[in-house]
Amino acid sequence: MASGNPIISMTDITKVYTVGGEEVRALDGANLTIREGEFVSIIGPSGSGKSTLMNIIGCLDVADSGEYILDGQSIEQYSEEELARIRNKKIGFIFQNFNLLSRMSALANVELPLIYQRMHLNERKEKAKQALDRVGLTDRSNHKPAELSGGQQQRVAIARALATNPAILLADEPTGNLDSKTGEDIIALFHELHRAGDTIVLITHNEQIASKAQRRIRILDGKVSEVGV
Amino acid sequence: MILQSVKMAWEAITSNKMRSFLTMLGIIIGVVALVVLVSLVNGATGAVTSEITALGNDMVTVNVRDDKGSPIRLEDMDEIASLEAVGEAAPSGSLNATAKFGYSDVAVSLYGTTPAYYNIQGLNLKYGRFLKTADIENASYVAVLAYNTAEELFGKADVVGEQLTIAGRSFLVVGVLEEDTSLFASMIGGYSAYAPFTVESRMADEPYVTTLSVSPNGNTDETENQVESYMLTRFHQDEDAFRLMNMSSISDAMSTVTGTLSLLLGGIAAISLLVGGIGIMNIMLVSVTERTKEIGIRKAIGAGKKSIMMQFLIEALMVSLMGCLLGLALSWLILEIVTVIAKTIAFSMSIGVVLLAVGFASAIGLIFGLYPANKAANKHPIEALRYEG
Repeated sequence: MASGNPIISMTDITKVYTVGGEEVRALDGANLTIREGEFVSIIGPSGSGKSTLMNIIGCLDVADSGEYILDGQSIEQYSEEELARIRNKKIGFIFQNFNLLSRMSALANVELPLIYQRMHLNERKEKAKQALDRVGLTDRSNHKPAELSGGQQQRVAIARALATNPAILLADEPTGNLDSKTGEDIIALFHELHRAGDTIVLITHNEQIASKAQRRIRILDGKVSEVGV
Repeated sequence: MILQSVKMAWEAITSNKMRSFLTMLGIIIGVVALVVLVSLVNGATGAVTSEITALGNDMVTVNVRDDKGSPIRLEDMDEIASLEAVGEAAPSGSLNATAKFGYSDVAVSLYGTTPAYYNIQGLNLKYGRFLKTADIENASYVAVLAYNTAEELFGKADVVGEQLTIAGRSFLVVGVLEEDTSLFASMIGGYSAYAPFTVESRMADEPYVTTLSVSPNGNTDETENQVESYMLTRFHQDEDAFRLMNMSSISDAMSTVTGTLSLLLGGIAAISLLVGGIGIMNIMLVSVTERTKEIGIRKAIGAGKKSIMMQFLIEALMVSLMGCLLGLALSWLILEIVTVIAKTIAFSMSIGVVLLAVGFASAIGLIFGLYPANKAANKHPIEALRYEG
């Protein structure tokens, strides 16, 4: 097992939703530790609490109870503004449907999180180019998302996630909208990034893709369990 | 960050040009209405005011209604003229009569006065001379004609030395005034002639001075005060015995009227700007809903509430200001065209009205952008990300 410092440390995390007057325990005392440099996949069917877990890991939401420490920082009942800053610095989101801004070029999309860091123009361009370079899309930097294939769009999204040099890359079904060949290429890219030292959390319902990760975690009915190696 | 927001706003505006333009149209029309209406009123006011000033703005006229047994005589003019704040004083009796020359005749207003009248009224001679003191003392039958009177009667202007009859008496023409082309003269119209006061008063059977005008020596207000107190003393403190009139009181009244007019028109134009602002809010609300996903993405990758708020607020402000600039350009064009058509009056935009338009448009952009921007900023990131428009 990896021996790095814990990047994610969750203890007894609970999240309860009230839907139509009924309480739904989306996360029920979940414990989870992910260390620096790990490549972890989180598997679970829909309705298992997977999305809730991702939202809490990604600081899009906060838990009702329990302790969550991200990269040494305890995430409590922060204000939206503070959560936004934490997301900006520590999390690199990769979504199933890429979520690129269609009006902007690939480079501008990658620059976006750096803009919110108030980084200066030259440094920003430089970092964005480096990120695009890491995903092998330097020659497509001025293309708009619509002019790129699905796989290329996802690579741009990965570059955007990488640009801020976050503590973890949080990928939510990153191959869900891609054909299997392209999907494999993307997974291969994740492995490449993993080898380079990035911490990756991959959320999926696809056992086959999950099995390629270094470590697998299963979530079912709001409870998290390790899958034997 | 503001620079980035401006860039983002520009991208959003240019990505949907037709819609942005239509949104701006409300502001464009509002600004054009505001600027053009206010400038037209101002231009017309300026033209009329300068006419009044040219007439002898600083002259004070006194009209005696009831002499209380101590009428003002011609000799009293010197006493009035010797008041400290009074420059010159001249009576101006008037009589409507028919002037004849050969077979042509014309109805004229004959003014009986003294040489001082020339300066007080700011008259200008074209031919000959004005009345002289000797004419008054001798009660000579001499007359000075207005340019249009001479033209009408003689068919030409250079008529010094000719004889004509006014109310059946024979007069020698000693001078002709310059043509009065002012707006005011054409408004009032009529034909006038000037004769010695002594002659006119005899003809009108009115030996006393009932109307007189004085020119100020320094401050017009001071002149008015002194003349008023002189008259009050003379007429036993009866304010109703006489009436004091000042050209500047006319122009004051005028500017009150035009001020109200431009306020009224400006107000109407401001309402159309307000409607334009509501248009902006409307489109911004649609835009915020349409771009819910974008807001979600931006929030996920680290945009805070403030950044989102700023982005949409600047977008609304930019739409408004761009509309304002286009409106100003259009207004300028319209005013240039109107100036060409109107010929005599030059209409121009004052800095004041431009600043007013820019200020108003910015305020409207901000006020009506606030609600949509706030709505965008308050979207929950998870829900916004899930939105499929």
